Amino acid sequence: MKEPTYIPLNIFGQVCPSCLLMTLKTLNLHSSAIRAGQTEIIVMTDDRQATTTIPAAVKTMGYLAEVTREDNGYRIRVHGL
Amino acid sequence: MIEHPFFLIMLTSALAGLLAGFVMHRSDFCVTATFRDMFMFGDYFLLRMLLLLVVVSMLAFELGRVTGVLKPHPFPLLGAPSIATLIGGLVFGIGMVLAGGCVVGTLYKLGSGSVISAVAFVGMIFGSAFYAEWHPAWSAFAKATIITPAITLPQVFSLPPALLILPLAAVAGFLLFRWHRQGKLTRPAYAKGHIAPWKTALILAAIGFVSYLLVGMPLGITTSYAKLGSLLEGLFWPEHVAQLAYFKAQPLAYIPPFGSELIRGGAGPAFDAVAAIQYPLVVGIILGGTLSAWLIGELYLHYRMVPRQYIAAILGGFLLGMAARMVPGCNIWHLWGGLPILAGQSLLFLLGILPGTWIGSKLLSRFVIR
Repeated sequence: MKEPTYIPLNIFGQVCPSCLLMTLKTLNLHSSAIRAGQTEIIVMTDDRQATTTIPAAVKTMGYLAEVTREDNGYRIRVHGL
Repeated sequence: MIEHPFFLIMLTSALAGLLAGFVMHRSDFCVTATFRDMFMFGDYFLLRMLLLLVVVSMLAFELGRVTGVLKPHPFPLLGAPSIATLIGGLVFGIGMVLAGGCVVGTLYKLGSGSVISAVAFVGMIFGSAFYAEWHPAWSAFAKATIITPAITLPQVFSLPPALLILPLAAVAGFLLFRWHRQGKLTRPAYAKGHIAPWKTALILAAIGFVSYLLVGMPLGITTSYAKLGSLLEGLFWPEHVAQLAYFKAQPLAYIPPFGSELIRGGAGPAFDAVAAIQYPLVVGIILGGTLSAWLIGELYLHYRMVPRQYIAAILGGFLLGMAARMVPGCNIWHLWGGLPILAGQSLLFLLGILPGTWIGSKLLSRFVIR
């Protein structure tokens, strides 16, 4: 099986609601590929609020999200089911 | 032991600010997001948290009033509701969304290293000072559009406050209980050191109660923004500052709960009761944000943003600072303090910020975040 590709979204410095809006915009652009498991979005952010709002918002749209802490912020992986 | 009338007030305010800034940072308890995200994303989570804070404060303040622990009732500085408050609330809502934080949110975010919040803060100081230039005209408009001389809704209907407060609290309590059963009062959070927002709502209600108990009123901070503005303006144009009616007035005049003498304060540059109450609160909230971020290793400068976001922050801050004087009062003063006692001004403020936040959200997504 082909490994999924990644769409990096580096939004360090950005605050809400930009973080959520930029993630949703990217998600909508690549929705079918993400749903098919061909690609994923990797969000890099230092906005604490985004670590709650992004997973909550993508979940209501039928996607999944995992948050892990990195050196200077958070990594949010958004992918299909 | 407590000799100076300002000692207890300053100590209470500083500690209240420190704790409030800390827990708000940890929970991302953003009042701007509460209203903005409702319009932008259909997200009502933080609105439920605000309702929890208001209902708990409502019951606590009423219990304090009935038992005579909290006085005076209504607390000082609340005025008669007028159309000016509604318009001020609308401008406040627009400014709050563009600035990316309210008068308090900006402080704890600034404390944790947000440069854009510092820019919004500067805008607020300018906006507050600018209001002083046309205060007489706005004040006349506010007086001419007074809806009722009564301060609170129970006073309007000449009813004991409990008769309105208890049924309202019962309805809100029922809703909160239902949301609790549906799991809507919590949501997954992954940020380091996160404190569940419902806990912060309860802590903030407790802080408001303690402030009312020891200082004589719940939390409020924006007169000090105008005060800071008058201080800075006075460095360049001292004569102009000295002749402005807004900076000469001392609308705060009361005997604090644990004091024996009348203390006064206003927006002028002098170190008075307003300075004693609000400056320590402002510094406390900033340091609370700093301490919280530092303890979890997240204290660093956040500045990488596009120029138009900085422009929005300074313009939004300016509108916010100006509107807080037009209302008069800020969102925490009215939503966490006035609304629980059903103050007419606070109800009008709420009615104003709803369309204001909606307009702000439209402006934000049309011109700022593209």
